[in-house]
Amino acid sequence: MNFWFHVVNLGLIISILGFSLNLLIGYTRLISLAHGAFYGVGAYAAAIGALRLGISFPWTILFSIVVASIFATLVAWPALRVRHEYLILLTLAVQFVVTGVLLAWTSVTGGGSGLPGIPRPEAFGRRLVSPPDFTVWLTLAAAASFVIAYWAGQSPFGRVLRAIREDETATLAMGKNLTYHKVAVFTISGALAGVAGSLFAHYQAFVSPRSFDLDESIFLIGVIVVGGAGNLVGTIVGAALLASIPELLRLLDLGRETVGVAQKFLFGSLLVAFMLFRPEGIVPEGFRFGRTRRREARAVGGALAPEAVDATLADDTDDDAAATRALERMEERLADSADQPQALVRDPDKPGILQADGITKHFGGVTAAEDLSLTLSPDRVTALVGPNGAGKTTVFNLLTGFIPPDAGTVQVDGQVLDGLAPWQRARMGVVRTFQDVRLFQQVNVIDNVLVAMPGQEGERLSMLYSRPGVVRRQERDNVDKALSYLEFVGLRDRAYEPTAALAFGEQKLVSLARLAASEADVMLLDEPASGVDRQWVRAILRFIERVSQEGKTICVVEHNLDVVRAIADHVYFMELGRIIAEGPPDELMSDERLAGIYFGGAE
Amino acid sequence: MSLNALPQLLLNGFFAGSFYAMMALSWGLIFSTAKIFHFAHALVFTVAAYGAWMVASQGMPIVGTFIVAAAVGALAGLAIDRGIYRPLRRRNALQLNVFLASLGVLLAGEAVIQFVFGVQARSIQGFTLSPLRLGRAGFTTLEILVVVVSWVVIGAVVLFMRTRQGTAIRAVESNPELSRAMGINDEKVYRNVFLVGSAMAGVGAVLFSLQETASPTMGIEPLIAAFIGAFVGGIGSIGGAILGGLLLGMMENLGGIFLPGHLQVIVAFLLLFIVLLVRPVGLFARDTKA
Repeated sequence: MNFWFHVVNLGLIISILGFSLNLLIGYTRLISLAHGAFYGVGAYAAAIGALRLGISFPWTILFSIVVASIFATLVAWPALRVRHEYLILLTLAVQFVVTGVLLAWTSVTGGGSGLPGIPRPEAFGRRLVSPPDFTVWLTLAAAASFVIAYWAGQSPFGRVLRAIREDETATLAMGKNLTYHKVAVFTISGALAGVAGSLFAHYQAFVSPRSFDLDESIFLIGVIVVGGAGNLVGTIVGAALLASIPELLRLLDLGRETVGVAQKFLFGSLLVAFMLFRPEGIVPEGFRFGRTRRREARAVGGALAPEAVDATLADDTDDDAAATRALERMEERLADSADQPQALVRDPDKPGILQADGITKHFGGVTAAEDLSLTLSPDRVTALVGPNGAGKTTVFNLLTGFIPPDAGTVQVDGQVLDGLAPWQRARMGVVRTFQDVRLFQQVNVIDNVLVAMPGQEGERLSMLYSRPGVVRRQERDNVDKALSYLEFVGLRDRAYEPTAALAFGEQKLVSLARLAASEADVMLLDEPASGVDRQWVRAILRFIERVSQEGKTICVVEHNLDVVRAIADHVYFMELGRIIAEGPPDELMSDERLAGIYFGGAE
Repeated sequence: MSLNALPQLLLNGFFAGSFYAMMALSWGLIFSTAKIFHFAHALVFTVAAYGAWMVASQGMPIVGTFIVAAAVGALAGLAIDRGIYRPLRRRNALQLNVFLASLGVLLAGEAVIQFVFGVQARSIQGFTLSPLRLGRAGFTTLEILVVVVSWVVIGAVVLFMRTRQGTAIRAVESNPELSRAMGINDEKVYRNVFLVGSAMAGVGAVLFSLQETASPTMGIEPLIAAFIGAFVGGIGSIGGAILGGLLLGMMENLGGIFLPGHLQVIVAFLLLFIVLLVRPVGLFARDTKA
């Protein structure tokens, strides 16, 4: 009987490690091959704390959490400055260094023979000795860890993590500090690994480097892969399965060595098979995700009314009709101005004027921008036009900080933006869209809008756990706001659908809703009307017109001259990185020289 | 430690570095072209070593052993690409997923080798080594063999990269979409890099087993040296991988001046950390991006 309790206990500890690793791999798509090391640092912290520093039982857990989370944070800091494949390498390096130190630093860690004699904990005056004694406590610890990880994953913080996973550039453009979020997810992941490590140390009463080596790291990755990345329920399934396989193999009476080999083979094959045939794991991410969201939807006021669902079905058959319907809804919405999303009403103290002076950028010998100066203001819609390769998108990249200029300065309402990162500029009120839309595809439509909202308390770990009530209330308000932004573009009824299911035209409108949700004053739209049919273009233009009327500062890059004529009040004409003319659209378009450059492709 | 040991350490560093340079080039070629973090390269290495051990223990002369190992390695690498990576490519799998599959292949493959051959270490026979001296530094004929074979292989691959096939590889490496548009068959290019890279690993496996022994988990250590060499030197740069491997060998041995022997592994990772933090593109990469 004890044997089965032991299997359950191991499964519980592995589950905690799985929650911790899933936040990294599943939610943020940050790979860590150092999770065995994090676990080991936690376990050794408890062991050394108890044996050498005289820390008594419950405090050893706290000590482990602190040590492991600090360790994970220190690892994350350098690791996150580099590209993804380097993260594999760096975490691999950390894993080897930790194993090496545990083996070599004999005076503290006991070297290869480990540290025996870790005191068993006492609960209510009774010392826990046999596996069944531990099961209740480990279950409680696993449940608490689940809640902590779940809360992180489902909160605004977790939403940013998923956004990072889907598209780092777009997340940055929406004003999110990627480094903070990535380091923070490592910190919380380390803390949970610390919990697991200290529990393991007290449970086994013995730690040795072998329990925390690269094989353990890979095993934990297997738990996530098999169970399902991005889903904590899946992690429990994966942990239960993978923790019981070796124990079940042992029952088959194969002999010790064969069991080890069979286990390794089975494990490796499972990894390959899942990647080939079921990369989403046994419990896919959307499994729980969809259900929860729909429940929320009803709570906020029945966003999925029956007729809306019907409309959804019809949409799939007729793209043009869908565009018309979105447009009609938008018009209805606009007519009923009492119900405007609040954020569209601008702060009257901020003029929202963007001023760029002498912006210059060279890539090697290529001039991308030469002494560009332009002014964007809310009283006119500005357009950048010019032949392909004139550097129009580069201007957006320079204004929003995605490319640092060689010279020149950018200011908004007198505040200088030079040297600031894109997320900082977004927070100061300069946001952009992308030609290829860059929505977060594997999350629901509404999450795309929610993620853009500024000032979310729930994006900070400290608030998440100290003031959950505040976070939850704000989130409820934000969901309402997000729905009204979607309503603004006529897509409220699609709020709880996966983004990937939307037609391209609808995705463009969602990207506009996302832009509006950022509450920025200056909006840079990169080819808003490209790649979609006429009906969609009308809806998009209507949005631009409306937002401009509300006092937002708009600048578009656009190839379609009809669109430019329809919306723009002022045009900058670019060629080869220079602004060669500016003025009202009609004036510039009747200029034959410019027409020659534009259509003739003189160069 | 006194500097008297310096000539010896430099020499050892060059021996180890030559082997690392070959391994870094072999792994880096696959990684930079196929964009696969090919962890199972360690398995290719191990399979080739066991192939070499089998023929060598039947009395195959050393030259033949090298050829067999290269062939076995090439086939093993090709089989992994065709059996696992190509289906994943066709499904547009995430790079992360391909990497995880690669980990799985390594584990499953190691288990099979362990099941068939047992856990005990095997050594390859067929090369008798004798000691040599150069001034204060001593070495063996085996180390000469390692250096000569490594540089011959490196040279052959550098020449191969100048051929038509090699040019196609470099084209796919620098811009897969454009090369496809130009009519280059990328599947053929992937096949070639796996064949070449894996054959190199096969040769390396014989050199490794002559110095140490073959065992089911032997592949991970040289694999990590290959990673570090390739990244330190600069991904996508042939010269970078070679210099990165050499530098790694030198640092590991010169690190012995300051550090006790069992911390040598940390020297390698320290080098990696510093390079990735200070110059993430790699020390010897051409800095093409502004």
